Amino acid sequence: MLSPALLVAIPLIAAALLGGLRKLLPRLLTDVLALLTALFNLVLASLWTLHALHRTQVYWFGGWYPRGHMALGIGFVMDVAGCGLATLTAFLATLALLFSFRYTDSGGDHYHPLMLVFLAAMSGFALTGDLFNLFVFFELMSTAAFALCGLKTQEPSPLAGAFNFAVTNTVAAFMMLTGIALLYSTTGALNLAQLGLLLAGRHDRLVLAAFAFLMTGFLVKAATVPFHFWLPDAHAVAPTSVCVLFSGVMVPMGLFGAMRVYATIFQGCFAGTHVSWIFIAFGSLSALWGGIMCFAEHHLKRLLAFSTVSHTGLMLLAFGLWTKTAMAGLLLYLVGHALVKAGLFFCAGILLHRFRSVSEPWLFGKGRALRRTRILWILGGFGLAAAPGFALAIGESYISAGAGWTEWIFLAVGALTGGAVLRAGLRIFFGLGDAGPTDESAKVDEAPETLKESHQINWFLWTPALACIAGSIALTFWPEYTNAVHSAAIRFMDFGSYAHAVYQQFTPASMVRAAAIPGKDWLLAGVHAFLALGLALWAVYRRRIPRALRWPSHIEGPLRPFRALQSGYPGDYVAWLTVGSAALGAAAFWLGH
Amino acid sequence: MLANLPYYVAAWLFLCGLYGIVRSRHLVHTVISLTVLQSSTYVLLLAIGFRKGGYAPIFADIAPGVITVDPVVQALMLTDVVVEVTVVALLLAMVVKAFEKGGTTRPDDLRFMRG
Repeated sequence: MLSPALLVAIPLIAAALLGGLRKLLPRLLTDVLALLTALFNLVLASLWTLHALHRTQVYWFGGWYPRGHMALGIGFVMDVAGCGLATLTAFLATLALLFSFRYTDSGGDHYHPLMLVFLAAMSGFALTGDLFNLFVFFELMSTAAFALCGLKTQEPSPLAGAFNFAVTNTVAAFMMLTGIALLYSTTGALNLAQLGLLLAGRHDRLVLAAFAFLMTGFLVKAATVPFHFWLPDAHAVAPTSVCVLFSGVMVPMGLFGAMRVYATIFQGCFAGTHVSWIFIAFGSLSALWGGIMCFAEHHLKRLLAFSTVSHTGLMLLAFGLWTKTAMAGLLLYLVGHALVKAGLFFCAGILLHRFRSVSEPWLFGKGRALRRTRILWILGGFGLAAAPGFALAIGESYISAGAGWTEWIFLAVGALTGGAVLRAGLRIFFGLGDAGPTDESAKVDEAPETLKESHQINWFLWTPALACIAGSIALTFWPEYTNAVHSAAIRFMDFGSYAHAVYQQFTPASMVRAAAIPGKDWLLAGVHAFLALGLALWAVYRRRIPRALRWPSHIEGPLRPFRALQSGYPGDYVAWLTVGSAALGAAAFWLGH
Repeated sequence: MLANLPYYVAAWLFLCGLYGIVRSRHLVHTVISLTVLQSSTYVLLLAIGFRKGGYAPIFADIAPGVITVDPVVQALMLTDVVVEVTVVALLLAMVVKAFEKGGTTRPDDLRFMRG
């Protein structure tokens, strides 16, 4: 089979070609070449995922195999979780490039090369087995993301959003590098497996400090409260197809980095301590905070961005539980969330293309004519609420199988985020109730992305949304997929088999048969859908009910003290980042020492 | 004490950079504070790789077995420099664009996305 290095190399070469020839190539050819590159990645990553189901293989660059315990070379560890994430990235990148076919403003023809660099960096990040290489891909992914975010340079607001994003994430990257330097100073190793073997059982101050620095770096990317402030600003200004990749894979990629590093390096250090409680605390806070802020938002892209904060918080919570079923649920949830969220962003992009706005009050009643988009948006709202028949519901049933109390957080998050999306859908696409309250961010004009105004919704605009929403439903009727994810989760947490693969080039894998699937609780998922729809209707028809019962519209209302935190100053965001990292460090010293 | 001095310098630079970003009310000042923060990682990496009496790790003209400083951290630092130059260049380009379009380099005037 083709070498996994091509997953990074081919998009980078294509990016260089498209970047160098961008003045010569016609737009159609640029589109087709970029799409073909993403498709190549999709096919190759899928093939490697199928291969990884049988055995985890390690690819060493330049044939630098480990000698004894020393792993000096850089290796790609082709396990199911990593390859699967690379496949998901390539899938969403393909759809995003399809969505931006022909019409989307390409920001002086920089869009396609940057998207391909972004794709290459995320693929490398998902696969690498070297800590410093992880940092390099983290930074490459970030830099491409900053540039993509500020692509619409015709006006200053995208620049402000991209600037905040860049400053916050670069500070995070330095914290990560400090953590890496501390680990290197005590072990002299950079390979994840070698670090894990050398550090097993150690939880002294140096290891704890390195843990705090590294986790802060990853959790800033994963938009965990209080590190999340950059995310809504960045999503509000980035082009729609870029938002799809941000919310669908880049933010979960931050979480995946934290999980990979924890599973390999720190798992042995903190066995028997309660360090993973930190993730439960931060995850619960993010889930609830993001949900409340999501319901209060009326700028569609920011609304979806806050829902990403909330759902990534849920995944972090599942990570903190650190059991095999919770990990399986996390991976199922990650894929389901990526598909549903991408579908919703594509729908928001169609609204922006057709009406030149994503403000909920302004769009009131205007979407009635968009029949296909209407169905997809409402389905997406139910999907986000983890309604029966969506991939998120299965992920949720896995996660809460071992920890019943998490069910309450899932219920709150599903009702708030699903309710917010359904509320916006009922107002925009059905014209129910009235235009509703507004807020400051919803009044900001969104720069149109498409080059010419058109009343027609072309096939390449709506098929990506359809593919995502249909995919999130279809996955629930595919038991082999659930089994494969379950065995991927078990292998992901098993450091012994990871280290064996690194030192022996591969380990054979055993598939898990559906022994441990918890019962899919359709009734509970139904309650989720019912609550979300109820909250949406309550908000939409708030004027028809007695004043004392109008509390959902209070959540929808201004929430001034909460919103004031989202100040738009990069300095404030970095101050919160400092506070959060200090809290994380203090908790690590308290729980891990 | 003196042996640990580089680590204290690194911590000091880190905190200075953080303070600068947090208190900044000018976009160029923010970017420069970021480079101060970044230089703390250089100091830290070089301090980790230092060996007392070590030679530069160029093995062409030194006898085998001679002590050298750690070449890995120097490679890490060089990569770090390359990566961060890109980020700083991108950030400064954004500031230039913001000044061209909005006529300002103060974050106060660019806060369209409050709340």
